[in-house]
Formats: sequence, C-alpha cells, structure tokens
Amino acid sequence: MATALAMPKLGMTMREGRVVSWPQPVGARVEKGAVVLVIESEKAEVEIEAPAAGVLRHVYVPEGETVPSGTLLAAITETADEPFDAAAFRRVHDRPEAAAAGPVPAAAVAGGGSVRRTAETPVTPAARALARRLGVEPARVPGTGPGGRVTREDVEAWAARRRALVPVAEGVALEVPTEGAGDPVVLLPGFGTDVSMFARQIPVLAERWHVLGVNPRGVGLSDAPEEARYDVATMAADVAALLDEPAHVVGASLGAAVAIELALAHPERLRSLTLITPFVEADARLLAVVDAWCRVASEASAEAVARLLLPWMFSRAYLADEGRRERTARGLAATAPRVPAPTLARAAAGIRAWSGSRRTDLARLSLPTLVIVAGDDLLTPDGEAVAGAIPGARCRTVPRAAHAVALEAPEAVGEAIRTHLEAR
Amino acid sequence: MEREIPMLFAINEALHLAMEADPDVIVLGEDVAGGGGRKDQGIEEAWGGIMGATRGLLKRFGPERVRDTPISEMGFMGAAVGAALTGLRPVAELMFIDFIGVCLDPLLNQAAKLRYMFGGKARVPLTVRTSTGAGLRSAAQHSQSLYWMTAGIPGLKTVIPSNPADAKGLLLAAIRDDDPVVFCEPKALMFVSGPVAEGDYTVPLGKAALVREGADVSLVGFGRTVQTALRAAELLARDGVSADVLDLRSLQPLDEEAILATLGKTGRVVVVDEAPPRCGIASDVAALCVDKGFDLLNAPVRRVTAPHAPVPFSPVLEDAYVPTPEAVVAAARALLG
Repeated sequence: MATALAMPKLGMTMREGRVVSWPQPVGARVEKGAVVLVIESEKAEVEIEAPAAGVLRHVYVPEGETVPSGTLLAAITETADEPFDAAAFRRVHDRPEAAAAGPVPAAAVAGGGSVRRTAETPVTPAARALARRLGVEPARVPGTGPGGRVTREDVEAWAARRRALVPVAEGVALEVPTEGAGDPVVLLPGFGTDVSMFARQIPVLAERWHVLGVNPRGVGLSDAPEEARYDVATMAADVAALLDEPAHVVGASLGAAVAIELALAHPERLRSLTLITPFVEADARLLAVVDAWCRVASEASAEAVARLLLPWMFSRAYLADEGRRERTARGLAATAPRVPAPTLARAAAGIRAWSGSRRTDLARLSLPTLVIVAGDDLLTPDGEAVAGAIPGARCRTVPRAAHAVALEAPEAVGEAIRTHLEAR
Repeated sequence: MEREIPMLFAINEALHLAMEADPDVIVLGEDVAGGGGRKDQGIEEAWGGIMGATRGLLKRFGPERVRDTPISEMGFMGAAVGAALTGLRPVAELMFIDFIGVCLDPLLNQAAKLRYMFGGKARVPLTVRTSTGAGLRSAAQHSQSLYWMTAGIPGLKTVIPSNPADAKGLLLAAIRDDDPVVFCEPKALMFVSGPVAEGDYTVPLGKAALVREGADVSLVGFGRTVQTALRAAELLARDGVSADVLDLRSLQPLDEEAILATLGKTGRVVVVDEAPPRCGIASDVAALCVDKGFDLLNAPVRRVTAPHAPVPFSPVLEDAYVPTPEAVVAAARALLG
C-alpha cells in the first residue's frame, strides 16, 4: 500500500510551495512523524512529517521546484519491493491547484516554474482534444508537463477540480475556498484580483469564523460564461446564492460595491457589512485607470499590468522600499492570469453601469457597517463620504496607505475587521 | 510443444518446413550448401551459410533445391527473381544487407515492379534472407541496418523478427507470400534463445505485437530494439512507470493501427531504431503519430536511434553506437516530466 505526500495547503490563500529539501534519500525507511520534506510557503520554511511509516519510494518533485498545493510530491510504500506504479499513483493522487497567486518566491516567476502560465505555454494535442471535449479553455489550465506544458492529465485534474465548484446560477459555478469554522464571513475581492488579496487577513479571521473567499465569475477557476452578465447586481446575486445562513460580508473596492448591492437586495442575509476602500461613484481617474488596466492586460504581459498598477495601488512610502516593490510586482504579475482580459472588460463595464446608481440608497442600509478608508487612496478617495452616508457606519482610516490597503497595511485591516465582527 | 532454441535454429527449422511442404521452395546463395554434397570426397553435410542457417538442407533436399552460388550477388539475385517469375519460391541468402548495393537492380527494378507493370499477371514470390545490424564486431561494411531502404521501395515487403518464435512464423509467411519479401535477421539476436512451438505456423505479415503492457509511455521497437525497449521498460518499472512495448515485426506493410492504438493508450511514444535517424523507420513512425494521431499526443514523439555515422569497429564504440536501454529510459523520462 502506498501513501501520498502532497504539497500542503497551509491556509486557504496558499496556492503553491517550494520543495526546499528532501532530507531522506529515495529508498530510505521513514517512521511516521519523521521529517521527510522541507517546504517553503510564503517565506516560511515548514518541515513536513511522514504521514505513514514505510519506504520513501518515489519523489515526483525535485528540490528547488515550486508547485501548486495539492501537487503530489512523493509516495511512501509499506515495503521497498511491493509493486508500485508511480505514474498510475500520480494520476490518482496528483491534484494541483490552479496557478499561483499573491506574493510568490522569485524563482517561480522568473525561472519559468512548472506552474507558470503564459499565452505561449504549450498545450499537448491530447490535452487540447480533451479540453475541447470537456468544454475547458486550455489556456486556463496550469501545466505540469516538461516546461510547464499542459498535458492530458492536467486537463483531467482541472476538470475534476472544476467539479468541486459551487453552482450559483444557470451555467455558473464559483470557486469558493474556505477556511476555519464559525459564523460565515464572506470575502469579496476587488477589480482584477482574486481572494488571494485577503491572504494576510484570512488566517486572523479563520481563527473565529468560517471564512469563504469568493472568486467572482470569470476569476480563477470560476466559470466565465461568454453570454452572461457581469454587472454588480448579478455578482451580488451570485454571492446571495452561496449563503445558506446570514453572513458577515467584507468587500474591497469593486467587492465593496457588490457588498453594498447585496446588502440593499437582501439585508436579512447579512450579519454585518465591511467596506474596504468603497466607492459609489467612480471618478474620472478611477475609470481611466480601469480603462488602461483593461487595455494593457489585453495587449501586454502580466508583468506590464503589474508595473502599471503599482503606483496607483500603493503609497509612495510603500514603494520606496525597492525589495518590497519588486516582490509586490511579482505577486501582482502572478495573480494577473487568474483574471483574464475578457473578465476585466466585463467587470469594467459593470463598474461604469453601477457608478452613481446607488448614491441615495446608502441611507437605506441599517446593518452594522465598518468602512475602511486608505488615507492616500488615489482611486476611491471618497470612502469617508460613503461612511457618512450609511446610518451608523463606523469609519476607520488607515493613514499613509493607498488603494490596496489590505496588501499595504494587512495587520491594520485584519485587526479592524476582527474588531468589527467581534462587536456583533 | 515449445522448446527454447536460438533464432538461428528457428530459421533453420522454418526452411526445413517450407521446403518439406512445398517442392517449389528452393534455397540459393553464397555458401548455403557450404561446399557439401561432394559424395565422391565423402563430404555430404556442410556448415550451411555463414552462420549455419541452411545447415542440413542439402542433405535433406538435395543439390537441385539447395544451390551454392558464386560470390556474385548480382548474379544469384537476378537468378532468384527469374526463378520466382517461373513459379518457384526461391529463398535467396544475401549474407549481409550491406551487400545490397551490388544486387539492387533485380530487387528494386525487377522484383518490386513486375507484378505492377504486368497488371497483376506476373508475380515474384521471392524471399531474401539477410542479416542486419551491429553486435558481432563486424565493422562498418557488415553491420548496417538498411531495412529502411527496402521498406521504402513500393512492391517490396520487409519484416524483422525480435525473437525465435516470430522468426520462424514470419519466415514461413514470407516464403508463402506471393510478393517479394526482405526477411531481416538481426545479427545480435541470432544466438539468443526463446520458446518456439514445434510444427508449421505463420506470423502474418503487417501485424505488430504488443509484447508488454503498460499505461504511461509506449516504447516502439523492432528486431533488436524490441529487446532494448523491454529492458528499458523493466528499468522504468522500478520507478513505477509502466510502458507498453510494441514490436512492429513488419516494417512494410506497417501496422499503423497498432501504433495508433498504443499511442491512444499512453499519449507518449518513444521509437527505438538501430539505424541512423535520417529517413528512417523511427522517423516514419513519428510522422505517422503526428499525421494520424495528433489529437492523441500528450508529448512530443521521441526517436532513439544510432547516430548519423558508420558503425564503428571498436567494440567500445560499437556498443556506444547502438541505442541503449538507458537512452530509452532517458527519452521516456523526458516525455513524462
């Protein structure tokens, strides 16, 4: 009998990890609980213990490689000579997550790591044929073959993971990673990003609550139907369909707009509302940045998108640290492929249509509301006014931070949310 | 009943059976009678061919049907084609396929073309037995794998066994076929034993055999490289990679269906060929996979072949020249990632 050792998922935002070392050689006997593997995840090295006693029979991922969580790393068999089919074992136990998001080790971005996806990443003919049959877009599938090539097995794994999605509407199922236990807390990411933007807040919240990160339609693994609506009200309806009990709803920027829309349509489904850098009316600068974002994303690389966004999203003080700036750029570049250009364009149209439509409706909101405002926010500078328009809303301003405040001041934002939810 | 005998004996047995069953079957070539049959000198039996494949035929079937020829490939090949046209089923022994250059015209322009040019009214039931490949330290002029050449000539069939049982069945099928067949005998396998059934049986021309079943990668070989592929499959199995091993057996006609079937199963093909890479059987199989099996490919097709160079005489270099199981394992590994 063989036991699988896969790249763990240490926290719901962990998408990948690097194999730092295999302390034991292949063929070595290991006891249950002995350290067989050291991985690196979001800058922390973690020792991984053998899940069972036996022989380290086969190592699938060599030292130094970065792979998605769920990727099969090694197999441990009870004995050294029992029959073992490594490839068949991998087909059953290799369940890699989609491409990396959030800050990632430089090697994964610069070194052409096995999970890197670009428009040029090759797709094998068999993978292409299977994708066609299953209705999968091969460009969205992370490749694990040599050089990141998308193989038939990758498409199969992707299709299997897609079956775990949560259906919210006709033909639309969403990727909703969850963590923790307790009352539900729903996290709604901003324009052009996914739930990984809350990476630093999720562990804090998961200590007390059942955190559900929602990747909206068109983002990450979530369905991206061609003929569907991507307006703010529809995205709010998607979230409403996910909830089977009242939830704390936290939204950032476009996610805040979705949260407002949800709170107006179904106030009884919410326990509380947290709006991070919200807007009710997109000003000319925000619309211009969104427009540029869409254009650059469709015409240039993920790296170019990241470079465009840095000055709009982060404060001068944050950008002054060069190492931090470069890490952040790489993180943004890694997230960008999870929000493809067509999704950006559709979401941008949603923002334009929604902008200004709810100006007078905020007064109808009666939920316990926290508004988190960034003191140096170029894109949504009217957060305090939004807070002022919602009866009883509290406003917490994070000084010297810009629009991406959840990334720039993660502790302050996490603490503010936690305090707000605990008061309910 | 099955016994373990070397390929050489299996070939000898097939010749005996063919000549027994059909008086039209004759054998000719250099040294096939081995200078035997000189009753006046008390020499009845002789060695029979350079390796002894025709041993015993002279004594059993007589000098009318077992004919030594002068060292003139052009002469006996022309005679064999002519004999075939008259209705005999000659088995000509071309000692080494390397000598095909001096007798190509009867094969290329006569044997291969006559049925076609006479609208089906002529037939050339000729079998050319010839040894191929490296492995006996026979140097550059006696070690080539030129089967790709005969396989590429329309009108000729070309087969190459990988084991004694197939050697016997393929040779009987070749002799009984109404078209000219080039029967290649891999030198390196002639003294390797395997189980062979007694009695008369044939292995159909144009049919490959799946000799080992796996799921992850397909190793395609023929003749000697089937053994290379089988060894590679064993090495891969140690790492838990399971391989299909397909023995082509016939190079022309080629069993396209079997190749596409194993490709469809594993999505990954490594073709192992003892010949150099240009214009070879490995390239041909790779082209077939891309042409007719494109949507089945889950990796590029890899060829493991000899280099584009003459076969070296130095034993060390000769061993490095032929595809090794390790090279096949490396190619398979590169496809699996």
